[in-house]
Amino acid sequence: MANTWGYGAMTNSLGDVQNAKAIIIFGANPAVNHPVGFQHFLKAKERNNAQIIVVDPVFTKTAAKADHYCRVRPGTDIPFMYGMLHLIFKNGWHDEKFINDRVYGMDDVMEEAKKWNPKKVEDVTGVPADQLIQVTKAYAKSTPGTLIWAMGLTQHTVGSSNTRLAPILQLALGNMGEEGGGTNILRGHDNVQGATDMCCLSHTLPGYYGLSDGSWKYFAKSWGVDYEWLKGRFAAPEWMNKKGFTLSRWWAGVLDGKNGNDKIHNGGTNLKNLFVMGNGITSIAQQAKVKEGLDNLEMLVLCDPFVNEAAILTDKQDDVFILPAATQFETSGSVTATNRSAQWRSKVVEPMYESKTDEDIMFELAKRLGFYDQFTAGMKVKENKKDYKWPEDATDEIARIIKTIGLTGWTAERIKKHTKNWHMFDQISGRGYGEMKGEYYGLPWPVWTETHGGSPLLYNINRSVKEGGMGFRNRFGLEHDGHDLLAGKGSAPKASSNKDGYPEINAKNIEKVLGIKLTADEKKRIGKNWKVDTSNIIAEKCMEQGMAPYGNAKARAKVWTFPDQIPMHREPLHSPREDLVKKYPSYEDKGNHYRVDTQYKSKQTEKNWSKEFPINLVTGRLVNMNGAGMENRASKYLAALTPEMFCSINPDLAGRYGIRDGSMMWIHSPEGTKIKVKAKYSHSVSEDRIFIPFHFAGHFQGEDLSHKYPSGTKPYATGESANTVTNYGYDIITQIPETKGGLCRIEFA
Amino acid sequence: MSENARLKFFCDDDRCIACDGCSVACAEAHELPAGINRRKVVTMNEGIAGLEYSLSIACMHCTDAPCEQVCPVDCFYIREDGIVLHDKDACIGCAYCLYACPFGAPQFPQDGAFGIKGAMDKCTMCAGGPEETNSHEEREKYGQNRMAEGKVPVCASMCSTKALLVGDSQEISKVYRERVLSVGRGVKTQPYGWGVAYGSKI
Amino acid sequence: MKSKQIILAIITLSTLAFGANADSAIWGKDLITSILGYDQKESLHLGYYFTLLQSTYFKPLFLGIILGVPAVFFLHYLVIGPMIFSHDRKKIYIFTLFNRIVHAIAAIAFILIIPTGLVMMFGSTFGGGEFVRTCKEIHAISTLLFIISVVPMFFMWLKSMFLHWDDIKWLMIVGGYLNKNKNPVPAGKFNAGQKTWYWLATLGGFVMIGTGAAMFFQDFRLDILVEYGISQIDFLRGSAIVHNVLGAAVVILFLVHIYMSVFAIKGAIHSMVTGYKEEEEVEVLHSSFYRKLKKENKI
Repeated sequence: MANTWGYGAMTNSLGDVQNAKAIIIFGANPAVNHPVGFQHFLKAKERNNAQIIVVDPVFTKTAAKADHYCRVRPGTDIPFMYGMLHLIFKNGWHDEKFINDRVYGMDDVMEEAKKWNPKKVEDVTGVPADQLIQVTKAYAKSTPGTLIWAMGLTQHTVGSSNTRLAPILQLALGNMGEEGGGTNILRGHDNVQGATDMCCLSHTLPGYYGLSDGSWKYFAKSWGVDYEWLKGRFAAPEWMNKKGFTLSRWWAGVLDGKNGNDKIHNGGTNLKNLFVMGNGITSIAQQAKVKEGLDNLEMLVLCDPFVNEAAILTDKQDDVFILPAATQFETSGSVTATNRSAQWRSKVVEPMYESKTDEDIMFELAKRLGFYDQFTAGMKVKENKKDYKWPEDATDEIARIIKTIGLTGWTAERIKKHTKNWHMFDQISGRGYGEMKGEYYGLPWPVWTETHGGSPLLYNINRSVKEGGMGFRNRFGLEHDGHDLLAGKGSAPKASSNKDGYPEINAKNIEKVLGIKLTADEKKRIGKNWKVDTSNIIAEKCMEQGMAPYGNAKARAKVWTFPDQIPMHREPLHSPREDLVKKYPSYEDKGNHYRVDTQYKSKQTEKNWSKEFPINLVTGRLVNMNGAGMENRASKYLAALTPEMFCSINPDLAGRYGIRDGSMMWIHSPEGTKIKVKAKYSHSVSEDRIFIPFHFAGHFQGEDLSHKYPSGTKPYATGESANTVTNYGYDIITQIPETKGGLCRIEFA
Repeated sequence: MSENARLKFFCDDDRCIACDGCSVACAEAHELPAGINRRKVVTMNEGIAGLEYSLSIACMHCTDAPCEQVCPVDCFYIREDGIVLHDKDACIGCAYCLYACPFGAPQFPQDGAFGIKGAMDKCTMCAGGPEETNSHEEREKYGQNRMAEGKVPVCASMCSTKALLVGDSQEISKVYRERVLSVGRGVKTQPYGWGVAYGSKI
Repeated sequence: MKSKQIILAIITLSTLAFGANADSAIWGKDLITSILGYDQKESLHLGYYFTLLQSTYFKPLFLGIILGVPAVFFLHYLVIGPMIFSHDRKKIYIFTLFNRIVHAIAAIAFILIIPTGLVMMFGSTFGGGEFVRTCKEIHAISTLLFIISVVPMFFMWLKSMFLHWDDIKWLMIVGGYLNKNKNPVPAGKFNAGQKTWYWLATLGGFVMIGTGAAMFFQDFRLDILVEYGISQIDFLRGSAIVHNVLGAAVVILFLVHIYMSVFAIKGAIHSMVTGYKEEEEVEVLHSSFYRKLKKENKI
């Protein structure tokens, strides 16, 4: 999404969903995963008569509340969306003015969409042609419409194409920057958005700054740390700018390309130690490989309030350390919600027993590894202090440094004030009143300055920048192929002194673009561009002129740096339709993809997978469980709701294999692994697919590993992990695993 | 709450998403033994488009409670506000109340040897029992007494989508009626009581 | 012995009821169908009938029985008085040791079961709680005594209990108890009244055991019920109704039996202790049997 218009985050908010007249949900299950937030969907349905359309391989609890349900084949969202676009363009339901002013490259999309007539879409996706027509008409004609998605759209080899086509669909309908519109990706766990913003990822510095020398230098300066010292921490200078391994494939880094595993590019060495802090390792695809990776480590450290089940999965006996981490109730700090807003959390109890807070663990580690001073320097820079105060100084450090997503306004004081006064805000618009007037609840970023009120609706040009409006980000240059990438005439945010498109602001163009003159002192202090402007002059001046520091450009439907410039359908690596694999093959294999050679076409064509593994495997979530499930399965009543791992299977499918309701069954994977689970008859799945929840762990391929739990730590419920049988497959750009579209074979146990 | 209030539960099946928040909240708040579900969520027509719906059910605190009518030891007492409670000390575990109840609300924790049933347990609408209010004994036997503290029963207060409503039957009818009548009127319409629940009139 | 096997079977079945409780037959999947079916046209309406009967009719019925039946007999005793037979003639051996032991155990069982059952029925009068609960446990445990006696009893007297024309005649004259004279009464070894009591105590007893066990074990699944589409809760409701109605009949005939054997026929109880009946008693009250014995020269 960031490649389409600048930021890759939920554009509106959950409360704003109540303004929608149509809600289309691709591969998301908010009734299960956001039960409280789902209120807003239901209220939209109640009060706005909003049409809810669910596009999902399984008839979920969300689908039960939908007006239209489209049972789509896993991994065929692109044909479905092209099918919608085909009808939208054909019938003239698209917003021409919006496309002209604010979108680049829609022509190529229109060309591709012409190919996807409803009959073809029906063949590929399994959704009947007349249903596609009905749903598209319902969605296109009831505006504003909001588009929701989650893991069902992202966890595919073409995930990064899926997440571009969905915005394109919204752009075509002019649903962006509107109340009740937008692309609302529902982030899951509490503060996963915050973790994303801090970029706990291997390809960028915090705040999406990337790994360029410029970014490193900016951070070195902002942290008060010597740039050369930072550079010296790497094995060789070039590694400073190279992407690292991902969470989904770290184990490949351990296995070092031996025994048929993918080769790695890690400077001639392999990964030796793994330090896991609050991550469900057992929720990663290809668990058998994860286990192999764990077994071959030199040292494994697991830091969690509950025993991370990686310790149970691995056969490694020595050098496995389990550190008790404190929970969020035993510490304070800010968290970020799915709608980009911040909330303060206060400590309510001291860390229990021997557990330490995450920050204390990291500080202790930094001390012993010898870089504690550099590690904490950034918190003392603002007030040139001798010592820091946690967590307020950390929050202020973030606000001081991160300008890319406009966290300047996220000082600890402001965030605390909002949380303390949360009753003073409107549920739907987020507008504050009384003392909080002029601010939006939680200060949704970007908050350009220390007094800015937040931006609840991204890309909304009907509001002034002061009020949170802005156009699309100028991130991809000023022109491409001779086409102007800046927004069209007259499409600037309200009350802007520059009424047309304008580039992102830097020290060189600020005077021209804003139409102002800087003083000599300002010219001396101003940063190179808006992202590294420590002086904040650029942001302040922009606010005065009613302009967004990041520019006002067109969103792009064409990403010329991607293997598929416009999203193209490619069958999942393990597809039940061999004929379509030939027509829509996957990508060419990608070497050195986050340091691992990753297979695409070669894996897909290794053999006709559908012959031996004819059934689609869909993984998903349960309402009473969360992630790797250790916490919830250790809770008596939550575990009692689903005490055993199970597989939702259609009665007709089960009947063909002699599997009775409640009997045990095997699920075999193309990986060569298998799991033994209980069959649960359900009509929510069709005959060609099964559904398994991924929250269980503690069993491996039919073997119960219960004896491995340290005494007193075994949860009430254990079971097979779904990821033991998820297939090989990783997104071409992000390397997210293809857990939502695999194949399997079932058997009576 | 008015003097003439009669307290009832109502579960709006348009809103219930079977999240089980109510049943888990009840089990946690009253520290129920595993297997006793004072409140449970049921889903009908699962997986069938257009027909699937879910409901949260527990003791309905009937006005003409059949359980109270059939008890041989008369251990039930119906409060003036309509909450149906019973005395576990008087209960002999004969299960007549279970036979009479159309909803299967009474349950029996397996208590003694040879399958001898313990005293009956059921939803109390968080109003405790005949023991002294908010005493240790009351808490042990019947769970929390939230009504005496002026709090809403924990199931309805935890409902994710405010499908489960509890209160004076007139008030609940008002809330539900407003929901139904607000269809198509746009988001500015706020049902009665929402201002109280969320503190917002905008 | 057959009774042993049956006891074993029952105990085994009861353990199954605890072990196989993975999905409750009452609060599991069937809960919904039962709720929906409570008042539907095709349902058996047992819930409704149970509530109606238990709330309004059972207590007055039982009260009427335990007050009325003794009252009637009191009147009978005053007006007509007991039958007295001479002790001077021969004594005929009627009841074997086995008969007497089985009857004694059954008697103890009844003496435990019936009053405790009545205590349960009128639980509120006894203040509920510990006392009534204990009576309930006694009522249940005594069933074991009942089983080991009533099963042999069924088989040991079966041959003598089949209906005969005598029984119709006996019924028409109400056994001759409505007058004071000692005319021979048409009856075999057992008269119609005794036969009625026998069949009620044994067959009815089996039904009482079955329905009582159903209510005691509560949460189990019987394949035959599943086959006929009867839900467990309806089975329990039906059991409760049958148990109470049949129980009323049992109480009535129990009181009759006590009156007849203890008060109305002087010395009758001794036959169950020694095994011997007075010759005159047999001649008068079991005239056909007496004639048969005479013909076979057993006297």
